Amino acid sequence: MRPGWGWSLLLLSGALLAATAMGETALPFGQVLKVLANQLAGAHYPLDPIDVGIVWNYRLPRALVAAACGAGLAICGVILQALLRNPLAEPYLLGISAGASTGAVLVSVLGIGGGLISLSVGSFLGALLAFTLVIVLARASRASGSAGLIILAGIASSQLFNALTAFVIARSANAEQARGILFWLMGNLSGVRWPAVALAVPVALLGLGVCWWQRRALDAFTFGADSAASLGVSVRQLQVLLMTCAALVTAVMVSLVGSIGFVGLVIPHAVRLRVGPGHGLLVPLSALAGAVFLMAADVLSRQLIKGQALPIGVITALVGAPVFAALLLHGSHRR
Amino acid sequence: MKLPAYPALALLASIATSALAAPTQYPLTVQNCGKALTFDQAPVRAVTIGQAGTELFYALGLGDRLVGTSLWFDAVKPEYAALNAKVERLANNEPSFEAVIGKRPQLVAVQFEWMVGPQGAVGTREQFHDLNIPTYLMPSDCVGKDNLKGADGTRLQAFDINTLYTSVLELAKIFDVDHRGQALVADYKARLARAAARAQASAVKAPTAVVWFSSAALATDPFVAGQQGVADYLLNAVGIRNVVTSTEEWPTVGWETLAKANPDFIVIARMERRRFPADDYQKKLAFLKSDPVTRNMDAVKHDRILIVDADALQASTRLFDGIEQLAEAREHYRP
Repeated sequence: MRPGWGWSLLLLSGALLAATAMGETALPFGQVLKVLANQLAGAHYPLDPIDVGIVWNYRLPRALVAAACGAGLAICGVILQALLRNPLAEPYLLGISAGASTGAVLVSVLGIGGGLISLSVGSFLGALLAFTLVIVLARASRASGSAGLIILAGIASSQLFNALTAFVIARSANAEQARGILFWLMGNLSGVRWPAVALAVPVALLGLGVCWWQRRALDAFTFGADSAASLGVSVRQLQVLLMTCAALVTAVMVSLVGSIGFVGLVIPHAVRLRVGPGHGLLVPLSALAGAVFLMAADVLSRQLIKGQALPIGVITALVGAPVFAALLLHGSHRR
Repeated sequence: MKLPAYPALALLASIATSALAAPTQYPLTVQNCGKALTFDQAPVRAVTIGQAGTELFYALGLGDRLVGTSLWFDAVKPEYAALNAKVERLANNEPSFEAVIGKRPQLVAVQFEWMVGPQGAVGTREQFHDLNIPTYLMPSDCVGKDNLKGADGTRLQAFDINTLYTSVLELAKIFDVDHRGQALVADYKARLARAAARAQASAVKAPTAVVWFSSAALATDPFVAGQQGVADYLLNAVGIRNVVTSTEEWPTVGWETLAKANPDFIVIARMERRRFPADDYQKKLAFLKSDPVTRNMDAVKHDRILIVDADALQASTRLFDGIEQLAEAREHYRP
């Protein structure tokens, strides 16, 4: 176990450095290192202030938020797949991305909040509202507690909020504007600066911490709520704690960077294929894989078309789907 | 006081061409963006979709033929305010199909193909033509442009100012005011020649610029003018080179790329629209001056930020105001 942590940290820092070195424009690697030396170690290399700004204020925060976001979403996927015992469970299943879109559209298109509420706050509130609706629906039902019910409630809530978003856009947006919203909905890290890091990294670490602390309970849940109860897990409390944790982490990430698909669904499966279902390994490795994957996807999104950026959600699906397919094939061969 | 020679020439030219202008012979058939429009007489009831067409009607002295306007981007030009007050505004944004046909128009003049194209926001041209209502699409938005590709269409060839002249002349012909059309075009050509001459006289050979229209969120990748579009034409007309290389009409390009390109001028659009925070030109200014990267750009440090009306960046009669503004900035530019 011990040397594994060292390797993980090394991989993570290597990916961070690579993501900071590769951007839309070509900066010499030495230049990037000098900027980091100036900022982190108090060196005094004479540098172009634009280069400094690009590395320190654009690329590094962007890479850190991509890492936090990838780790956070992967963790949420692990939680939900265990709690709901459904391989298709993913962070957006709880209606969070649909609710976030509605919140964002209400703020930006209808101008609700009169400029006092930002796009991020609007989408965060929308996400929480949609999640609350899911929980209320699932609770109010007679067959409360069943995993399938939460999934159904999530689908209902997603449909409702997606319809609201479509309604608002169709009613009052023009083409240029509909495009802007679409871009945001597919995930966009271009507006990320240091304040986003201060929010995303602690939230991701919190999610990881809760998950790690409850790893044995998550193992128990994998065999169903009833068997978890028979193993002495206080099912109801833990369900609420973990579900709320997943919802909060996802809502924060969505509000910062839009809804980036695929990470929360696929990363836990990919990791599970390699290391098995035990959460002691699954939780930290999913976080690591999610972080590295999203940083790589973000780099690609800026490199694929010269001089123009693609929505990162497009990349995560375009690159992630074939990689996952290969993993599936590989996994089935070994079995 | 020295009078420039060009207006006199223009006047001469307009007198000369007016002499050639003849009363329109009906029935008149006009080939317009792939459709043949036939008029048995000059229309007396017209509806416009798009401010460019609306103001062109006023410039041609055809305000009394307008029974409805729509798709406004900004306040009407002050000199047309009294005229415009008498015409019903069907919608601020795109009007509904029935609102347009309810006016029983004999002509609908349309600025953008996405309003009445195959996926028309208002209705398709066929729908209008089935009701014997001809739709005149401004040639600037269909000649050499694929409107089914890219969010705001993609230019297959550079915007040609002659398409704007064509719309002036053809509308004048349709309404039997040929001489007014000829005079207006002669005036535009003279203004253009004067602006180009001013730019020629400038000491700096080929300065560069970026045109920032808006952004989905303030710090995210901005929508900027691509190559070959109308805004790009404005820059070229006064010998300024666009640093953006995409051929989409309004692509999103990252600030990192723009900062490294470090253009001599930053043109920012001023508009009434307030749907994205960055629609407000003052917010654009504040961002440019405070962001750790953009505040180090030459154009920001030396205050070479030009605030241009968004309507001057479209194929409209205001385009010449924009060109004159750019010509003046270039004339006074000393590096």
